[in-house]
Amino acid sequence: MIISQDKPFEEILELLQDHRTIFIIGCNTCASKLHVGGEEEILTMRSGLEDAGKDVIGWALPTAACSIRSWEHLAEKDRSIEKADAVLVMACGSGASVISRVTDIQVYTSNNTTSLGGIFKGEILPDQCKMCGNCTISYFGGICPTAQCPKNLLNGPCGGCADGKCETDPDKDCVWEMIYLKLKEMNRLDLVEKIYLPRENK
Amino acid sequence: MHSLFQDKIRSGSFVITAEITPPKGTDTTKAVENADMLRGCVDALNITDNNRAVMRMSPVALGKILKDRGHEVIVQMTCRDRNRLALQSELLGAYALGIENICVMTGDHVKSGDHQGAKAVYDLDSVQLLSMIRKMMNGSDLYGNPLDSAPEFMVGAVSNIDPGQAMQMLKFKKKILEGADFIQTQAIYDPDLFESFMEYAREFKVPVIAGIIPLKSAGMARFMNENVPGIHIGEDLIERMEQARDPVHEGFEISCEVISRIRPICQGIHLMPIGQHLNTQRLLEMAGFSK
Ligand code: SF4
Ligand code: SF4
Repeated sequence: MIISQDKPFEEILELLQDHRTIFIIGCNTCASKLHVGGEEEILTMRSGLEDAGKDVIGWALPTAACSIRSWEHLAEKDRSIEKADAVLVMACGSGASVISRVTDIQVYTSNNTTSLGGIFKGEILPDQCKMCGNCTISYFGGICPTAQCPKNLLNGPCGGCADGKCETDPDKDCVWEMIYLKLKEMNRLDLVEKIYLPRENK
Repeated sequence: MHSLFQDKIRSGSFVITAEITPPKGTDTTKAVENADMLRGCVDALNITDNNRAVMRMSPVALGKILKDRGHEVIVQMTCRDRNRLALQSELLGAYALGIENICVMTGDHVKSGDHQGAKAVYDLDSVQLLSMIRKMMNGSDLYGNPLDSAPEFMVGAVSNIDPGQAMQMLKFKKKILEGADFIQTQAIYDPDLFESFMEYAREFKVPVIAGIIPLKSAGMARFMNENVPGIHIGEDLIERMEQARDPVHEGFEISCEVISRIRPICQGIHLMPIGQHLNTQRLLEMAGFSK
């Protein structure tokens, strides 16, 4: 799941300052699950924009903003989109980017995309994968240091780890502590004994 | 130029190094004064690389300036600010300027510094950087392309000293395997803990240089306990600092006690006082090192 967050409303208004007629496109996959691009959020955005003097002429909620079939398919459901002079995408950067490909109307996004993560038991888990293109997660008990260690270290913790917590955030466990405990439980500490070569960046 | 520091490390003699922080600006007068105060009483000056992710002058540039004044220098090189290309070209440049000693570290995250939105690079980690330097010393770059002339560095690395931290000890081991010539530790306040680290470290036969930061006040001790990872200053020491009429002197006394306990079991000390080295010479005299 792609994790994204709302931009401050003032910033969205600034982005849209030259436009009056707005069409909103949400995303019924990640953004909707994260409550930053589902129906409810679209309606809240609509009334906010209307209060700010904009004319919101319609909205759509495709299954996934990042994999729309075609402009026709999108416009089929609500023809008013053709009259919009700006499209506001309430989804991740990938969604905004795919939608920009199929229309000449200017596309804006209301979200800041932060990471590839997940949700487990209702808790949002950011930074589960950095899409490095050369997956090593299998060596680390399914916990990716490339994504979860702020220093992307592959050969063990930095000196900033204190009492199992991360140097950059004392509320966060050091990922190497998590990897150590997991591999110890699995009796596979041999995996971290190995010296890992520099990542080949894609 | 012949390196006395390297001779001492190789022959097992006790070394004294001291930390120098480059200026935040172009004027090196203060840093040079600071270094000159240590002339004759330390074996090498260890120059920080954007320490705590606070932007300062390049340690290679200051290293060259100090080297030209007859100081032996160790240039710190972190993984935070340069990718593999930049690290290698910086290392070649440093060597061409006469810098022969490098101390490798991961580097504090940009979140602790004054450029918090900077890209934290960490293209290599410290273990990979050590192994890349070995490769360069053997005549090729990271990707095996031949160098037309190879550097010959003495390369140090840093380590945590708590043998109870399995992953930290594993990292220590990896650094030795990848060719660290010496290990510099964080500040030591607990000689017992250091002793148990040395028991673990002994089999790796690597020279260990113990970090020393003289305490200046009880407040500083508490601050360090809370903010500096891996540092545990015992309540008894904090109490002593609290009661002391002259806390700075008491801090020196504590450092001297630590030094006399660890001196027989390690191969050097690395002095990192807060601020200038005004009193470093006095501390060394108190600790029984003659000039
Ligand atoms: S190693 Fe980590 S960042 Fe790379 S692909 Fe695997 S999970 Fe993603
Ligand atoms: S404390 Fe752990 S997770 Fe945090 S930067 Fe250091 S090694 Fe990475």
